[in-house]
Amino acid sequence: MTPSLALVRIHTTGGKNFRLWLPLFLLWIPFLLLLPLILLALLAVTLAGRMNPWRVTNALWAVLCSLPGTDVRVASDGNRVTVRIL
Amino acid sequence: MNEHRRQILDMLAAGTINADEAERLIAALETEPEAGAQPASTRAESTTSVKSGAKGKVKYLRVLVEADESMTGMKGSTTVNVRVPLQLLRAGVRLASLIPPQAHEQLDEAFSKHGVPLNVSQIKPENLDELIDHLEDLTVDVDGKDGNQTRVRVFCE
Repeated sequence: MTPSLALVRIHTTGGKNFRLWLPLFLLWIPFLLLLPLILLALLAVTLAGRMNPWRVTNALWAVLCSLPGTDVRVASDGNRVTVRIL
Repeated sequence: MNEHRRQILDMLAAGTINADEAERLIAALETEPEAGAQPASTRAESTTSVKSGAKGKVKYLRVLVEADESMTGMKGSTTVNVRVPLQLLRAGVRLASLIPPQAHEQLDEAFSKHGVPLNVSQIKPENLDELIDHLEDLTVDVDGKDGNQTRVRVFCE
């Protein structure tokens, strides 16, 4: 499953909270529009690097699909930053 | 996209639920298949079995870093808690295995210049599986100046 949402939370000691929901699923629209160009660029790069375009595409897709579940939290001196990919 | 997740997103878009509720629902959805599939009394046991290296059950690699101010140069202690899906590691290793052999030497040189003695040709998916099998709970204590310490814990869950 591709990532559908990213959540960014910033909490500062001053009591300021910042929360941002990024609807990653909306990126499908520009992605689909640019797909022919992306595929052409990928084909050119893989052929130039003497790699199998199909295997490279598969590997990139696998990376994209395995992003959900990633969670990064950093806390220091009362400040907290959280990034979650859902 | 998962049907339940889509429903939650639809409810969020329609304003039926707020962002907090959506987050809680999605988090519950993620844990449901593991936790919901068995009675509560056996959950503790299964967690132990996961830690003892039951292959196929572990889903994430967790890296916890606790550093005090002398190590980071920042005020107060700093904690970093990173959870990475093992699938992502596997996919990354698969991607790394596609690097053409002629580029391996250049990459190895670049890594060693930055203090990482890594041999790219040794990165193979089977090596990762072996590593995960043996990675139960690794703790590394790093001694810093003035006896201060940084603790790094790496484990699969």
